[in-house]
Amino acid sequence: MSLLALSDVSKRFGGVNALADVSFAVEPGDVLGIIGPNGAGKTTLLNCISGLYHLDRGDIRWESASIRGLAPHRIARLGIGRTFQIVRPFPSMTVRENTAMGALFGRPGARLQPGAALSEADTVLDVVGLGEKRHYPVLRLTVPDRKRLEVARALAMRPRLLLLDEVMAGLNQVEIEQALEMVRRVRDSGVTIVLIEHVMKVIVGVCKRALVLNFGRILVEGPPADVLKDRRVIEAYLGQRYAREQERKET
Amino acid sequence: MIAREDRLPPRLRRSIFAVTMVALAYVILAPLTSIDAAQQAGLPLLTDKVWFRIVTTVLMFVVLASAWNIVGGLTGYASFGNIAFFGLGAYTVGALVANRGWPFGLALLVAPIVPALFALVIGLPLLRLRGHYFAVATLGVGVATGEVVNNVGPLGASTGLFLPIVRSDLLFFYLMLAAAGLAVLTTWVILRTRFGYGLLAIRENEEAAAVIGVNTNFYKVAAFCIAAALSGIAGGIFAQWNSFINQELVFAVSDNVQMILMAVLGGAGTALGPVAGAVVLELIIQTLAGGGSGSVYSQIGLGILLAVCVIFIPRGVIDFFGGRSKLSLRYFRQTLRETSA
Amino acid sequence: MSQFIQQVILGLLLGGVYVAVALGFSLVWGILNIVNLAHGALVIVGAYVTWALFTRWHVDPFLSLPVDALVLFVIGYALQRGVINRLIRAPLLFTFLLTFGLNLVIVSLLLLIFTADFRSVTTTYSGSGLELGNVIIPYIRVGGLAVALVLAGILWAILNRTRIGAAILAVGADRDAAQLVGVDLRHIYALTFAIGAAFAGVAGGIISTFQSITPTAGDPYTLQAFAVVILGGLGRVSATVAGGLAFGLIEVLGQSAPWLGSGYANAIAFVVLVVVLVVRPRGLLGRLA
Repeated sequence: MSLLALSDVSKRFGGVNALADVSFAVEPGDVLGIIGPNGAGKTTLLNCISGLYHLDRGDIRWESASIRGLAPHRIARLGIGRTFQIVRPFPSMTVRENTAMGALFGRPGARLQPGAALSEADTVLDVVGLGEKRHYPVLRLTVPDRKRLEVARALAMRPRLLLLDEVMAGLNQVEIEQALEMVRRVRDSGVTIVLIEHVMKVIVGVCKRALVLNFGRILVEGPPADVLKDRRVIEAYLGQRYAREQERKET
Repeated sequence: MIAREDRLPPRLRRSIFAVTMVALAYVILAPLTSIDAAQQAGLPLLTDKVWFRIVTTVLMFVVLASAWNIVGGLTGYASFGNIAFFGLGAYTVGALVANRGWPFGLALLVAPIVPALFALVIGLPLLRLRGHYFAVATLGVGVATGEVVNNVGPLGASTGLFLPIVRSDLLFFYLMLAAAGLAVLTTWVILRTRFGYGLLAIRENEEAAAVIGVNTNFYKVAAFCIAAALSGIAGGIFAQWNSFINQELVFAVSDNVQMILMAVLGGAGTALGPVAGAVVLELIIQTLAGGGSGSVYSQIGLGILLAVCVIFIPRGVIDFFGGRSKLSLRYFRQTLRETSA
Repeated sequence: MSQFIQQVILGLLLGGVYVAVALGFSLVWGILNIVNLAHGALVIVGAYVTWALFTRWHVDPFLSLPVDALVLFVIGYALQRGVINRLIRAPLLFTFLLTFGLNLVIVSLLLLIFTADFRSVTTTYSGSGLELGNVIIPYIRVGGLAVALVLAGILWAILNRTRIGAAILAVGADRDAAQLVGVDLRHIYALTFAIGAAFAGVAGGIISTFQSITPTAGDPYTLQAFAVVILGGLGRVSATVAGGLAFGLIEVLGQSAPWLGSGYANAIAFVVLVVVLVVRPRGLLGRLA
């Protein structure tokens, strides 16, 4: 039984098909990468899974129970955590408090009190590497640290599935390595991960499988190395001419 | 705009604490000098009719500002219609006492319930709106509710409702004091519980709050109902205290603006901010009024005060106590630069 | 049946008033993102200007409309440039409180100058109208509707056919980008508000012809302007026209319902507001946000 299964998911905005007939499954322990050109529908997909958007068609199942139409907070409590592409911290709270919020509200089957949530936050902050900055106000953090905070807050929920939206965007090479390490630690702790990324190094470095979206549809699915060499994928990103030239070079 | 009271520097905190305790003791005990027994024992009379009227009004606004703060300051939904809850509370007591002959005490117990139910019913559709839309929709509620009440015969229509007069400055003072205490205590408790954190999260980033598991709809409506109940109690007390209520008195939108200004001026988002704001502002207003709070000059004064405060002190007076900003010309210039065209 | 037709016509004529009132309000909201709680007060100032001209120098109210526009234009420009501009980047709540404060000040000043006595402007043609069978169409109301439609046309022309209008639209769309291409933000803000105020003044002049005015008479118009903009939609002149006419119809037909009376004007506005916001947030003709 898959942890998460999407079947024929479709979402329109006005006249635009943001997502069309998207179907795939995520098994426990997977690290699934979702890639695709800008506007392909990747973030829309995450928003649909986490309940911020309503599906026009199709179904999403969490361990064989449908979660279509559930309110976002219910989906969160089932054990699905997510980060946002443009980070959304709680500005008036410290790093520790922000993280604790995840533990306070997002734990499946548990209602923590503030004190317990704060202790939980301390543990999580060490995992993501923000332990020393726990009492910083959010506004004092650098961008990479704010992204880590997003992840920390989601992790504090003790999710079974973690949706990461372009966690690596805007990071330099060193920071990407550190973030990769963090993602590997999370994976090793037993959390299933679905991540949207543009940085191919990450997809190859940590994902077991990759899925390519283009114009709201799945183009290709498979092991990262194969997917990235697929002609259709190259065409989607870089255009037909480039793809043809690449092919000619290889033969 | 939002300050946290636990950021007060320790020495300042202690002196403010001391001053406040003394002032509080005075306010609570001084009225007792007006009891016959105290007079006969030769105690100096520390209070008079005017004192009672002013302080009771201040306390009433402490309740209203604190209640507004729960929805506007903590949750971030600036409501311009909270006055409707005050009015409904007043009319609940008014109708029960004047029309049905209920004893005041019993009627007062019902006073928070009617507004809270009303808040539940309109909260569900209205709290889905944000920003401008929510503000004006709630403005509409305040105005429309008053209008409806003004047209309903059994509620006195445009004449208003007259309650049997109960002459006891002392009673209403202590009642309002209790209500104020309840309002502040409620806010203080909320800020320390899971519920409070949820409200803050909604204020800071509602979508993020939703995806980490906060049931935003439930929390928003709950905050709305709590604010309604507290405002209703104040209204109920006012009805009997004043012995007369009508649309103009208890559904005045300018009162709603006053409570917002008090909460914002004092420091929205804290438990004591609205208290400070209510005390300071109401005393200023009473001084400007010099007699009736409806006088034209006091309205002009209030309007200008409003404009000045909002332009120059957007983060509330508590900002100065937080150690983050010093009361200085530079602060004002910086604020202006941040918000000007 | 003719009763119904009479109601519909009256509704449309009333709608004209609402169009006039809402045009300025909608402009300021759409471009400056300011919901001006003092809008009603500005309308009433216009009404008083017309009344003053009528009582002192016997100027026909419809001829005094340009004067209303001018006076309110100046007041509006000064207000925006001097006061409201200070808060334009501040959170919504503050502009609300500020405009509410302005409303208090303006209304209080009017009370001081004109007292609370009701004033009216009654011309020789005030009571008469066109009679078509059983239906009566009052002249002043027709005049009001005509002026409103002309105003709408003027606003459309300003926004879509002049350079200033282009600048205004640019500022409304993206203030930073507008600045980058050389638009003087503060001046355009002030100009926009001034135009909005001018329109409010003209609306006030129209209102003085059929309603007795007192300083607080403007307050209901603010809420109604809001309802009209919500109903019609933000973003286009035609939307405000549609919203105003529709709102006039709703009010007249609503008030003729047996259990409602004229005291429910605000309540009706509010109910319309909430229903539209919940059911169709972008209004009749508005653009999808």
